[in-house]
Amino acid sequence: MEQLQHFKSRWQRFQYVECALYAVGFGGLVYLLTKNIGLGLAGFTVAFGIALVLYKPWKIKTESVIAYVDAHVPEAGFSSGLLTLPTDQLSNLSLLQRHRIAERLKDLMPKLMPPHHLQKAALMMFGLILIGALGRFVFGDVSNLSSKKGNDKEQIQFAPLDSIQEGVEIPELTETKISVAYPGYTGLPSLNTSNPNIKAVEGTQITWNLIFDGDVKEVTMDRMGELIRFTKNGAQYQLSQTLQSSGFYSFTFKDLEGNAYVTDLYSFEVTPDNPPMIEITDLDQYSYFDFNDDKTIPLNTQIFDDYGVNDAFIVATVSKGSGESVKFREETLQFDGSISKGSKQQHLKKQLDLAQLKMDPGDELYFYVEAQDNRTPTPNIARSETYFAVIRDTVTDEFAVEGNLGVDLMPDYFRSQRQLIIDTEKLIQERPDISEYDFKFRSNELGFDQKSLRLKYGQFMGDETELQAAPGQVSAVEEETHTDEDGEEKDVLDGYSHKHDSENEHNLVVENPEEDEEEEEDPLHEYLHNHSDPEESTLFEKSLKTQLRDALDIMWDAELYLRLYQPEKSLPYQYQALEIIQTIKNSARIYVHRIGFDPPPIKEETRLTGDIQNIKNVDKNKSFEYEMSFAATRKMVARLEVLIDGTSQFMESDNALVLEAGNELAQKAIFEPVKYLKVLQGLRDLEKTSNRTTEMYVQVQKNILSVLPNVESNPGKGANSLDEINLLYLKELGNYE
Amino acid sequence: MSDGFVLLNLNLFWPVLIGCLVLLGFFVWKEWPQKGQTRFWIKIGIAFIGLVSLFFILLKPAAPKETTSGRAIILTEGYKTQQLDSLKKVFKRIKSETYVQGKSLSIAENVDSLFLVGYGLPEYDVWLLEGKSVQFLGGERLSGWTQISHTDELELGEELKVRGQYQQPQKEHWAVLKDNGRNPLDSIQFGDTEEQLIQFATQPKASGHFVYHLEEKNADGEVVASEPIPFVVEDREPLHILILNTFPTFESKYLKNYLAEKGHQVLVRSQLTKNKYKFEYFNRDPQPIYQLSKQALEAFDLLIFDVESYVNLSRTVSTALKESMVENGLGIFIQPSGSLFTLSKNQLPIGFNADFNTDISLGNPPQGLRKYPFAFQQEFPVQPIQMDSTTIAAYLPQGKGKMGTSLLQNTFQLVLDGKLDPYTAIWTEILDALVPQQEKSASWKMETDIPRVDEPATFWVQSSKSPMEVETETKIKIPLLQDVSIPSLWNGIQYPRKEGWNQFQIPADSTSLFSYYVFGENERTTVSHQNVYEQNLRRFGQNKSSNTIVSATSKKMEPILPLWFFVPFLLSMGWLWLEPKL
Repeated sequence: MEQLQHFKSRWQRFQYVECALYAVGFGGLVYLLTKNIGLGLAGFTVAFGIALVLYKPWKIKTESVIAYVDAHVPEAGFSSGLLTLPTDQLSNLSLLQRHRIAERLKDLMPKLMPPHHLQKAALMMFGLILIGALGRFVFGDVSNLSSKKGNDKEQIQFAPLDSIQEGVEIPELTETKISVAYPGYTGLPSLNTSNPNIKAVEGTQITWNLIFDGDVKEVTMDRMGELIRFTKNGAQYQLSQTLQSSGFYSFTFKDLEGNAYVTDLYSFEVTPDNPPMIEITDLDQYSYFDFNDDKTIPLNTQIFDDYGVNDAFIVATVSKGSGESVKFREETLQFDGSISKGSKQQHLKKQLDLAQLKMDPGDELYFYVEAQDNRTPTPNIARSETYFAVIRDTVTDEFAVEGNLGVDLMPDYFRSQRQLIIDTEKLIQERPDISEYDFKFRSNELGFDQKSLRLKYGQFMGDETELQAAPGQVSAVEEETHTDEDGEEKDVLDGYSHKHDSENEHNLVVENPEEDEEEEEDPLHEYLHNHSDPEESTLFEKSLKTQLRDALDIMWDAELYLRLYQPEKSLPYQYQALEIIQTIKNSARIYVHRIGFDPPPIKEETRLTGDIQNIKNVDKNKSFEYEMSFAATRKMVARLEVLIDGTSQFMESDNALVLEAGNELAQKAIFEPVKYLKVLQGLRDLEKTSNRTTEMYVQVQKNILSVLPNVESNPGKGANSLDEINLLYLKELGNYE
Repeated sequence: MSDGFVLLNLNLFWPVLIGCLVLLGFFVWKEWPQKGQTRFWIKIGIAFIGLVSLFFILLKPAAPKETTSGRAIILTEGYKTQQLDSLKKVFKRIKSETYVQGKSLSIAENVDSLFLVGYGLPEYDVWLLEGKSVQFLGGERLSGWTQISHTDELELGEELKVRGQYQQPQKEHWAVLKDNGRNPLDSIQFGDTEEQLIQFATQPKASGHFVYHLEEKNADGEVVASEPIPFVVEDREPLHILILNTFPTFESKYLKNYLAEKGHQVLVRSQLTKNKYKFEYFNRDPQPIYQLSKQALEAFDLLIFDVESYVNLSRTVSTALKESMVENGLGIFIQPSGSLFTLSKNQLPIGFNADFNTDISLGNPPQGLRKYPFAFQQEFPVQPIQMDSTTIAAYLPQGKGKMGTSLLQNTFQLVLDGKLDPYTAIWTEILDALVPQQEKSASWKMETDIPRVDEPATFWVQSSKSPMEVETETKIKIPLLQDVSIPSLWNGIQYPRKEGWNQFQIPADSTSLFSYYVFGENERTTVSHQNVYEQNLRRFGQNKSSNTIVSATSKKMEPILPLWFFVPFLLSMGWLWLEPKL
């Protein structure tokens, strides 16, 4: 009985072993193919499980053991079943037989092998492992290749800068983590990558984490010549940079012995956050309305932005009146409906009602749409084109001077005397209703406006305004400026032109800090009537000039009373001034703005003597550093040609040339990093000794040539030789004449 | 016998004759018993015939005959097989030999009339056929590049021009010009023609020795053939320029600014009033110049005048100027103004004709410009300076120097308009034509079109040095042959050792370096074939039809076939043997 039990358990063990063999084979196959021990183990368990289910070793029954023993051991005499039966149930004969068999089997059973396929299983296992090994060999090459390619592109790799002595252990970069955190407003999730070529939005925060196995002294980043050190953070080196402009970078690290290792050049590419795009649909640039029209403008706007629109509104300016009395009013109008902040595309509408804008016939409306995106800290602002809406006036009267006058000589853009009178009268009228402070403020303001008007008219008079220095100073200043300027670079008109045309039209008050200064310097100036200087002659006729001078004097008084908060007293002066100005205006004189060169004052005693004895020659000496564009790069091309030819070896001096060429190209590369990256990488690779191969030279040269611009045309002296025959020819040619 | 018949074994004549007579005697003696019968006479007659036959068999008579043994065919590369076949048909058993470079033609020694088929013998091996009558029959039609010519030496900023001729181009193939980095520069697609002409122009970007490539690509873009275009680009030296004006003009101002910014040494002297000047020095020492003497002018390459300055030159200054031009190669440019065109021929030897045209259009895109309403008279020594085949200026050679002027008015307007490129192009063109060339110590010329390894390359060198020596880059001296009429001209032959760039140098003169390119075996093959063909054609003429050849010296004695004698001999002997038995 015991023997049978033994045999059975042995049988089971054999089966388990068989299952295990299959499982090991399969697991090994999986492991070898995937190179992942976890997957290998899983494969093993699964295979083992399946094998167990198929074999079911625990299910081996005693009956099958008996059958097997009976079949294979003749000595058992087909009676081994007796051993399983309890002795008390057996007949004597059976007992005898059992005893006999037990005796016989005692020796035989340990030798009897249970049925098994161990060899087959072992073969299977080895076969599977062999297939796995083969598969790894075959696919390994492929995957190695692809992973190698990937490495070049996507992984940071260091190469020693100089050839290093053997036996030095090179610290290895084991892990690279680059996290790219886009600015919050873009709404883009941050990105973890190992690709060192980074393309991101301006303002993106980039963090590099480098982990080395082996000791590293320091790690630095070379960002276009700027060296930035990594900070050591535990085992890893870390560096954070904000992306502001396109460019290149590379890493360098030094091992403990001071050997430097450098990476390839990688690029930053900044994609700018574009300002919003505004599209106004179905609207003419100019809309004209008649008095009795329905004066509404449907404004349909579409606004796009790459990351989201934050705000949009309409800026409308209404201009009333014309000529001297033009008035502007600016308003900001919101669109109908609210703006969904942060959405990339907005469709906005507004019905512009001109009546609501208090526009009367003859008024004009200028409006445009302004939109901001959600860029931080400063949003991008975009404006649409300006659109115009005009309500046609029923009657137009334009000021026109007599037919013989071609130029409208009065400037339109400052507050007119008439306007001032109206405003003053209004102030007097409103006086009981407004506060004392307000009254004084407005009165003072009017005084200021009166001053500006006076200054403006004063300018027509020639120099007798605050715009120019006092007459006594004029010559001194001019002499100085004329002696040291060479008369070419400076705009000759600068000192003589009144640049009010370039100023903001809305700014009705001309206020120039210089004027105030000069005013302080020479308080008397305002009160002087200096006609002694011949240069100050104006183009107005004498009578006209006095008239204008009178008007200006009267304006002084008008301003005085306005400043004293006595607008009532100022009013008569204003009327007087207006009257004079009107007569001047109507006197139909042409005024041409004085331009041209003011010569330095002439000394009377030397005038027209023709004595040039003390006049000296003028010397001007200047040097230009002319360097042909990309001079070093061009030299590099020629040098590479020699290197490719193999007649010369890479020398120390070539390193300098490589560096110089690299610098030249890097300057260009800032604007187009992608185009130049390959070239710069190639040049950089030449710094490493291992890369100095003919193929590399060819590659670098090809890349340089593809980005190098043509030579600018420049005359020059070439070399040639003249032989006797040519000289003879030239001589004969001379005689020919 | 006398007219043409010759006995080849004439030395055996007497013994054979005696022997024959003895035999005849023997026959007569043998037949003597039958004397008196007709049989006897018949037998004697037959024996005589037999003996005469024997006599001729032994002595080998020969008749003069037009033979083919004096002719042979020399096969060179590219011969047509049917041509050879038809030659062989006409001249039976004619011998032929294939020409192998470097081996002498053994066949040529025995014959004096040769058919040369194929492209012919290279120039240096033509001597092999010296003294022979040669019929050059040509070869297969060439397909490929039959001509490639290009600038082989240029200055940085100049254009490299490549012209080529392609025989029997395949449709839709491309000719592509590539730079030394194999970046494509220009291309042209072949049309459906017998012969395609191509022309490329490109501006090299750097100075040095370069090899561009002229590639032929098929429709799929695969490179079918590639020919090297070797050339040398040299750097240019900045100029020393003197500008003299009687009053400041915008034209001068912008010209001087442009030149100064380009790194040239410029001295501008503008007159302010009598004897008072404004001097402007750019990129040079502030050294004023008052009097134009020959010594003072030596420092300058180019002198730019306005018309007034030019006209008011004193006699001594004029002579100094002239001498400077003739001897030192000074260039003079006269800035045109209205009064220029009224000058007499004595004052200015360049003549003008009014053409009433005040506008000119230059460049690409066309750039309108004002000009004076005149044109240059086209007289012999006056050379036009052209831009886009429009004459914008002209110069007159004066010894080594040149004197020129232009027709353009207010070119500075281009600068004001921001069109700097046409402005620089115009002035580069004009000034380049006027400035003297720096003198080199030696000038070289490679006479062999396509030098190849182990083939003789003939070159000329011209230098005032004497005695003259030339060495290769490996310091091997090359023997030179002095020209008879021009003593400074030397001729040499070199057998290049390696492909690519090779150099010659005059020892101890580093400026005299001369580089030439040695082509590989598979480069420029069709071009060399074409060249060789043309050379052979020039030398031997061409006779396409081989039937009309009359060779003057090819008659040879041919032995008469002995069978003609043997048969009568056999018959007669047979008769003599048979007759007694009948």
